Amino acid sequence: MINRKITILGPEGTNLYILLQFLLFSVISWFTLFSSIESIEFETTNILSRQIVFSLIGLSVFFLTTYLSIENLYNLINPLFILSISVLSGLFFTTPILGVRRWYDLEPIGIPIFIQPSEFSKIILVLFIAKILSQNSYKLIFIMGVLINLLLIFIQPDLGTTVLLLLVTFFMFFISDIKLRSTVLGLLIFFLLFFILLEMNFIGDYQISRITDFFSGDDFSQNQSRLSISSGGLFGTYFTNLQVTEVFVPVQTTDFIFSLFSRNFGFLGGFLLLSLWVLFFFRVNRIIKLTQIEFEKYLLSGLLILLGVQIFINLLTILGFIPLTGIPFPLLSLGGSSIFSTAIIFGLINRVFIENNIVV
Amino acid sequence: MFNQKRLKFTFVSFFILLVFILFDIFQLQTSEFLSSSEIIDQQNLDKFYITAPRGEIFDVNGEKLAESKLEPYLFLNMRKITSQNSSEYRQIIQYNFPELTTLEINEIFESKEILKLVTNLYSVEYEIRNNILNNFDAFLIIDLPVRSYIKNELFAHTIGYIGLPNQDDFNEFKNSLGNNQVGKNGLERYYEDYLSGIPGELIFLGSDIIDSKQPIPGGDLFLSIDSSTQYVTKESLQQGIDLANKSFESLNEIKRGASVVLEIETGNIVSMVSLPDFNPNKFVSGISDFEYKQLDRDQAFNNFAIQGLYPPGSVFKVVAYWLALSENIFPEGLSNRDSKVDCVGSLSFGFVDGSKQVYNDWKLEGHGKVDLTDAIKQSCNVYFWDIALNIWRNFGNTEGESILQEYSKELGFSKKTNIDLPFEKVGIIPDRDLFEEWKISRPGLVRDEGWLGGDLMNLIIGQGAITTTPLQVANAYRTLLTGENLSPTLNVNAEKIINNKINVSDEFISFLLNDLNTVTNKGGTAYVSFSILGNKANDIGGKTGTAQNAGDKNNTSWFVGVDSVSDPKYIIATVVDEGGSGSAVAAPVSRRIIQHLRKYELTPVKFGEITE
Repeated sequence: MINRKITILGPEGTNLYILLQFLLFSVISWFTLFSSIESIEFETTNILSRQIVFSLIGLSVFFLTTYLSIENLYNLINPLFILSISVLSGLFFTTPILGVRRWYDLEPIGIPIFIQPSEFSKIILVLFIAKILSQNSYKLIFIMGVLINLLLIFIQPDLGTTVLLLLVTFFMFFISDIKLRSTVLGLLIFFLLFFILLEMNFIGDYQISRITDFFSGDDFSQNQSRLSISSGGLFGTYFTNLQVTEVFVPVQTTDFIFSLFSRNFGFLGGFLLLSLWVLFFFRVNRIIKLTQIEFEKYLLSGLLILLGVQIFINLLTILGFIPLTGIPFPLLSLGGSSIFSTAIIFGLINRVFIENNIVV
Repeated sequence: MFNQKRLKFTFVSFFILLVFILFDIFQLQTSEFLSSSEIIDQQNLDKFYITAPRGEIFDVNGEKLAESKLEPYLFLNMRKITSQNSSEYRQIIQYNFPELTTLEINEIFESKEILKLVTNLYSVEYEIRNNILNNFDAFLIIDLPVRSYIKNELFAHTIGYIGLPNQDDFNEFKNSLGNNQVGKNGLERYYEDYLSGIPGELIFLGSDIIDSKQPIPGGDLFLSIDSSTQYVTKESLQQGIDLANKSFESLNEIKRGASVVLEIETGNIVSMVSLPDFNPNKFVSGISDFEYKQLDRDQAFNNFAIQGLYPPGSVFKVVAYWLALSENIFPEGLSNRDSKVDCVGSLSFGFVDGSKQVYNDWKLEGHGKVDLTDAIKQSCNVYFWDIALNIWRNFGNTEGESILQEYSKELGFSKKTNIDLPFEKVGIIPDRDLFEEWKISRPGLVRDEGWLGGDLMNLIIGQGAITTTPLQVANAYRTLLTGENLSPTLNVNAEKIINNKINVSDEFISFLLNDLNTVTNKGGTAYVSFSILGNKANDIGGKTGTAQNAGDKNNTSWFVGVDSVSDPKYIIATVVDEGGSGSAVAAPVSRRIIQHLRKYELTPVKFGEITE
């Protein structure tokens, strides 16, 4: 490996395209949240100031991640994975919030936020799978590790993230040379496990009712979010004089933020935002082709799949195609954990770019 | 091995899914736009606000002065009341809450609100509550805060009270609409935004609650006031007022007065009392019209400590004292503070325009040979008139003639002290410009000649058109003793604002303290009032004041105390409206407050001596 000069913006500078995308998505999120606040005072309860602080911390997380070389990262994967499993297990000793054990509350140590460890464990899972695949060694213990990780999230319970990680795992195995048969078989085994757990009452009633409710009729919040998207029209209410009554959407600033975004910026806004993501995928895909290192190929593909599946689950949820999941839209939704984890993803991608000498 | 083809397949399927999603969004925002708008317009979502608990108020020792207790209230969801079930609900209410009259129950069922308050459930048994809630789904219990002022009248003017907001309140305080209450006066109003909290919300779609936001409680307020000092201050002032009523023949019953204790080092208010007062709790439960009018007639809602405008009389002489020493302007012919004038009880003098006038001192036989110290000690008017004459003869009709007014303003007179209370008054320091203005705006009030030397002579002894508030006077003394004009505060966490700084030397301060000390000692105007304390209290400073009022109003009784001159900690300013001589009434009131501050045994307010 070449010895690189370390600069203030990471080694040999930073990939400006990745940085620009990160900043652009953050600013879009600020503008979206700006319309839903009543005052612009700077205080910890104000969602816009919270988000701006989160974004700025996210930016430093992005740069910090960039300092970690892929070689060092590769060697760190096993300890990180064990840490991730331990932190997820530790959740069982916390008091449930809203009936689930999903967060560590940092209020007692003076930071007014909740940390959601599954946000970070999903990146570590992608790293872990990328390592297994690039080593081409499918030891049983590794496969068991992946399964335990999924199970720990499954019994929090967090069905949305479980489905997300299941899909990511599936796609990552799919892009390797493993026979399609065994990948599909793995998926089937997991679904079997799901029904066994269901029989053993491991899954809360409300999760089941969420699913059955979905098939039995319309969900109120999804109906409202469709109305909210619709009310944006072609160009949105932000820059035009469109007079539309406000639509009430529950948790509109977090999981349902795309409905607020669409209302503000209309179809044009939505189209541009998603196009930015498509561009991002194209840009990263070029490096996947370019790099000679197997691990980097799996890593970049895995991260893209992770981002892509998150966006799809989020959009399909708020459009009412699938039941409520609680998956945020990366960099758009309000929330620290989601921003920090996406910042890490961007930082990792940035590092691979730099190690391949691509800075613009 | 990494399979590039399968990755391509994955991304292509992602892209197809994306196109599908974009197509759906496009349809929503174009062809379904109008039908959606219609649905949205028909969706009348309504908000019902829940009052947030106001922040509580504590005194300097952490004793609670105002609290907000949550009590359960029963509400009826009017959207769930139909013609079928209405009689059933009516019966339940009648049966369970017999204290409600038919009229009140009719009012509930005729209400157009979403949620209508039925009754307070505070004293209703738990079983009844449970039974009602579980079997009838139009009922709802919401916890609402109830404000109570624990010390009743004692903090009526400082803490103030809350009430129903009006249109102006809605515009000024954004939370007042949702809370349906607002601070109307005192600290409750000054710190409204801090105390109010953010109201909670219930969002209704039709008759169902689809979302709710918890109210966020307001911040607590910690005051520099000490409850026991406040209590003694009120008690002493009341004794002073009673004493004045007993001692003087007054046309009107003497009722009004104010007293303030100010901590010199910090500018913190230790106690602030205005009489007459009222019970602010009456505003929480609703005050009767009769009672309100009666209190209003007695001017009980005025905080005279910051809203009472009185001529200060001789307590104002310290301004001239400061001016004399700073500018070296003494009575004509004198060059320093130790030279003496011969006070024969009156001053006759002629002006350039040929007019001649005689001014009589309060002591007709005269004070004899008087220097600056004696002039303060015995409150000799002649000495200060001589200073005024000197100013007038040197600077009259030039720019310099307003030098006394400028010194006054440096000490904060005719300006707000900017204490953390609303509706503070500023008072008047008259000068030539003001008289010219009054000639037009208030004809008949001033002579056609306008501002004359006699007006300056009146001003220098705190008489005539000048008016001040008790707090202004207390703060002016504090300014003289510290060199900075600081805004007094009640909230210990309030930012300390320096209005301006003045130039006073340590030498000047010690002179002033010594001279104020002579007032309470043998030969001084307040000696009789303070001699009761004996030798252990011979280090108290002060100044008496007796201001004449127009018409047949009795004199205004003033005393400003400094405790002590060796270690200046507190300024105590007391006014009894129509209380007569300052040395007779206001001085013993202040003396009793000082007894409390020094933890001496309290003795009743006793008539002093009529001096000025």
